[in-house]
Amino acid sequence: MSQLQTRFFTDNKKYSVDDVPFSIPAASEVQELSNVINKLLEAKNGSHSQIEFDFLVRGQFLRTSLSNHMEAEGISTEDVVEIEYVERFTAPQPEECMMHDDWISSVEADSEWILTGSYDKTARIWSLEGKAVMTVAGHTDVVKDVAWVRRDGLTSLLLTASLDQTILLWEWNSERNKLKARHCCRGHAGSVDTIATDPTRTKFCSGSWDKMLKIWSAVATEEEEEVVVEEPPSRPRKKQKTEQLGLTRTPLMTLSGHNEAVSSVLWLDSEEICSASWDHTIRLWDAETGSVKTTLTGSKVFNHISYSPLCRRLASGSTDRHVRLWDPRSKDGSLVLLSLTSHSGWVTAVKWAPSHEHQLVSGSLDNLVKLWDTRSCKTPLYDVSAHEDKVLCVDWTDSRLMLSGGADNKLYTYRYTACETDAGA
Amino acid sequence: ARPGSVLHPPGPVLHPPGPVLHPPGQALLCTPPTRPGPALYSTHQARPCSVLHPPGQALLCTPPTRPDLVLHLYSTHQARPCTPPALPSQDIRNTVGNIPMEWYQDYPHIGYNLDGKKIFKPIRNKDELDEFLDKMENPDYWRTVHDKTTASDIRLSDEQVDLVHRLQKGQFGDVNFNEYEPSVDFFTNEVMIHPVTNRPQDKRSFIPSLIEKEKVSKLVHAIKMGWIKPRKPKETTPQYYDLWAKEDPNAILGRHKMHVPAPKMRLPGHEESYNPPPEYLLTEEERMAWEQQDAEDRKLPFLPQKHSCLRAVPAFSRFIHERFERCLDLYLCPRQRKMRVNVNPEDLIPKLPKPKDLQPFPTTMSLVYIGHSSLVRSISASPTGQWLVSGSDDCTVRFWEVNTGRCMKTLEVGGAVKSVAWNPNPAVCLVAVCFESTVLLLNPGLGDRLVVSSTDQLITSYEPPEEDKEQAVTWALSEGPEHDNGHRLTLTHPKAVKQVVWHGKGDYLASVMPDNSSNLQVLIHQVSKRRTQNPFRKNKGLVQCVSFHPLRPYFFVATQRYVRVYNLIKQELTKKLMTNCKWISSMAIHPGGDNLICGSYDCRLAWFDLDLSTKPYKMLRHHKKALRGVAYHKHYPLFASGADDGSVIICHGMVYNDLLQNPLIVPVKVLKGHQITHDLGVLDVTFHPTQPWVFSSGADATIRLFT
Repeated sequence: MSQLQTRFFTDNKKYSVDDVPFSIPAASEVQELSNVINKLLEAKNGSHSQIEFDFLVRGQFLRTSLSNHMEAEGISTEDVVEIEYVERFTAPQPEECMMHDDWISSVEADSEWILTGSYDKTARIWSLEGKAVMTVAGHTDVVKDVAWVRRDGLTSLLLTASLDQTILLWEWNSERNKLKARHCCRGHAGSVDTIATDPTRTKFCSGSWDKMLKIWSAVATEEEEEVVVEEPPSRPRKKQKTEQLGLTRTPLMTLSGHNEAVSSVLWLDSEEICSASWDHTIRLWDAETGSVKTTLTGSKVFNHISYSPLCRRLASGSTDRHVRLWDPRSKDGSLVLLSLTSHSGWVTAVKWAPSHEHQLVSGSLDNLVKLWDTRSCKTPLYDVSAHEDKVLCVDWTDSRLMLSGGADNKLYTYRYTACETDAGA
Repeated sequence: ARPGSVLHPPGPVLHPPGPVLHPPGQALLCTPPTRPGPALYSTHQARPCSVLHPPGQALLCTPPTRPDLVLHLYSTHQARPCTPPALPSQDIRNTVGNIPMEWYQDYPHIGYNLDGKKIFKPIRNKDELDEFLDKMENPDYWRTVHDKTTASDIRLSDEQVDLVHRLQKGQFGDVNFNEYEPSVDFFTNEVMIHPVTNRPQDKRSFIPSLIEKEKVSKLVHAIKMGWIKPRKPKETTPQYYDLWAKEDPNAILGRHKMHVPAPKMRLPGHEESYNPPPEYLLTEEERMAWEQQDAEDRKLPFLPQKHSCLRAVPAFSRFIHERFERCLDLYLCPRQRKMRVNVNPEDLIPKLPKPKDLQPFPTTMSLVYIGHSSLVRSISASPTGQWLVSGSDDCTVRFWEVNTGRCMKTLEVGGAVKSVAWNPNPAVCLVAVCFESTVLLLNPGLGDRLVVSSTDQLITSYEPPEEDKEQAVTWALSEGPEHDNGHRLTLTHPKAVKQVVWHGKGDYLASVMPDNSSNLQVLIHQVSKRRTQNPFRKNKGLVQCVSFHPLRPYFFVATQRYVRVYNLIKQELTKKLMTNCKWISSMAIHPGGDNLICGSYDCRLAWFDLDLSTKPYKMLRHHKKALRGVAYHKHYPLFASGADDGSVIICHGMVYNDLLQNPLIVPVKVLKGHQITHDLGVLDVTFHPTQPWVFSSGADATIRLFT
């Protein structure tokens, strides 16, 4: 059994060990290394309790035995190996399962409420505990995307986009549980598949099957003739009635350039919009002028993108079953930084962790939700196999909650315990 | 053999142990040696000798194993049956021969004498004590031998003892024989003083011969004249025998070595047995099949038959026939060495680009559209690629969202749906559905609202013409709940409709009513004017499918074996394509309009280049079973075929603008996924209008998307 000279280090002061080289069996795996660290910590600090660690060798998670990993990565075994260790990310614990009447097309949660859009033509507001609070009914067709706009005390503004080519801006009072349709945004000539609110919470952008992106104002203007929707709606509304829902609003700006349907849109910052499309491109737009700034070209249809301001990377889920990471700022060289390959179906949803620069979650048509760490691109951290059918949407909130919804009409929430050590690095 | 004696057959082995041949109490009569030649008997035993004697040779009897047997040597000249020596008072020679005497253990007698009487054993056997006493007391003990055959002790006479002594010393048995007789030499080595003859020597013995001199002078003359050449000096290099000369096929000797052994006959197996195991006997059906087969195709040239015993086997009636055939085979078989050409099989494959370099094309199954309860006959994608329509035998038409596999709408129609077709014009939202004898135009209400409403407007804005012409079909506008379901126009045909297909502009619609006996098989409808016309006056065969040219006013009609191309404006036949197929099942036109593929029920796919020839440019036989559907992609150089073997084969079919360059056809992928139900696999294939994705519908009631 060959031995390797290793040196362990960590960013977390709580778990630091002496900076001396250790001789470790080359065949040792994560569990054995973890035991070694725990032994060292126990020797140092009597009150230390067992903690599971994960190990990084040159920024890559150790997933096989040390010798195999070094061989695969081409690291010399002659020198002292620097191994970083971090507290292991604990598995997300399933918490709630919210049953819907139909497929869940979209989910967005904030710190208090969860908003889901469903194929039964309604959107729903849930409390974090899984209690249905409100049904947002008004669309005449499938709700494709939902978004929170802003919250002033008890009043929230929210958006629902639908296959009926409209976006509805709603005002919801959580105390009185009253819902008002404030505006009906018309202008798209195809199903509105995606909406995103800008960081200033005054505008939003929508992407549609008609290849267009439109920017709208998200400010509700006061008007007299608004229709109050009773809760819950007694029956599905007819088309004539929904046409009166709210004031008709027209787009501030139309961004055209995509050759195929726009599948996902988001704001990088208040001036920059990023959109993914079926024409195999991701485009960055200037929100002021409405011109394309950069085009990232892939080889397959993009289903969804997500942006992390922490690591400044775009993650894209596409129909070739990979999650890819892009650098939207890079002007040269290969644009794809990393491919995360483990899904066996289309990746329909991706979402970066709001407080961790390496972690993201992805949902796929293979019924799996996968939790990834970008430092381990071949194997995900965890596979969450709660869903019995296609996963269509995932979300990840600041409040330690991951959500996923799919074609089995169930919205699952998972709670995880974040490691403070990694947050905001 | 002497009369009265019992003879044993010659040979050293006479008595196999066991129950045969020698039950005591039975005389054994064997055939005496028939060959001429004197028999040899030992004096005491009267056994015929085992060997035949070539005359002039001395013979030795089989050596006795017991010391009491005396050897007698005879020369064959004197061979005669020797008279037994003076017999003792009673001749108790045993006639059983050289057999293990244990066989008589359980009997009171020990054999038979010359008269055939039993020889009885002595009453009491000697035991060890008797033996010892005998040895101590009997002065003749040393010359007493025990005869096992008679179980009696014999005292040897003095002559016999002498004979034994002489033989032990290696001397002749006969006392009177002198082995050292004086010899007389014929010639002597001593030189005599007198010669035997006194004749003087001839003169010719010491003068040279004239005849020889004449011969020599002739030779000398011939050498002088150069007629005889002197012998070449012998080569000093050693000559070796070329052992391998015959092995080299290029050498002269090698070419003569053309021995081809006759083909070996198969050895008979269990089938040939007269009593074969039951599994080798043919069952009744197998026998029927055997009898119906051609004699040449039969695996066995005969029927295995069971007989109870070998005696019951009849003569093989085909024996002479079979021998004759074998002789013919041997005689006519070409004894020729096959010159095998060493060809690398990979060199025979045409050089095609690797499928990897021809991406994109669909490779994996991504989505399954589940909802139908019976086989899905036909699918069609909307021009935007957002929706898919499918028609099934469960009498429903379903509309699916492509990217999620969601069934958005289900419409019940009044019969098994044979064909669906989405209007290719993106400004019109209409789906043609045919079932039984009806073609239904549906407005599914999916996609852009403006398009949906303008389509409705288009249909309602129709104004009937002033004079009503008699039409082959009746057009009916749907109202009430049917209208709410999306039904817009109903075209009632006189016969069952099999296929509907749109023209690229989306106003014309063709429907096929296969019927072998009528000229009313194909109808072309114009939706905006609600007109129907029958373009053909003659019946040219059972129409399988039709298609419009994507750009020019051509119309393709596929009958069972031919595809006819008509010019709709000039109203004439422009081309007749010979497919070489037995039965065409499906047809697709390349979006460029100059190429066409035909799928057929005999597992073939024919690619026609209309500019090139009326014969297929390529025949692809990749499928194992009947093809059901073929399709071209609108933008990508791809075409797909679906067959009853449950697979969809994607081929790269690049068409070049350059007229000199032929289309490049490369099979790139076999997509499997559909289960085979009732021997049906994939029933229809269609491509996504914008992405390199293919949809396939199958008999397993699913639609699958491969990306």
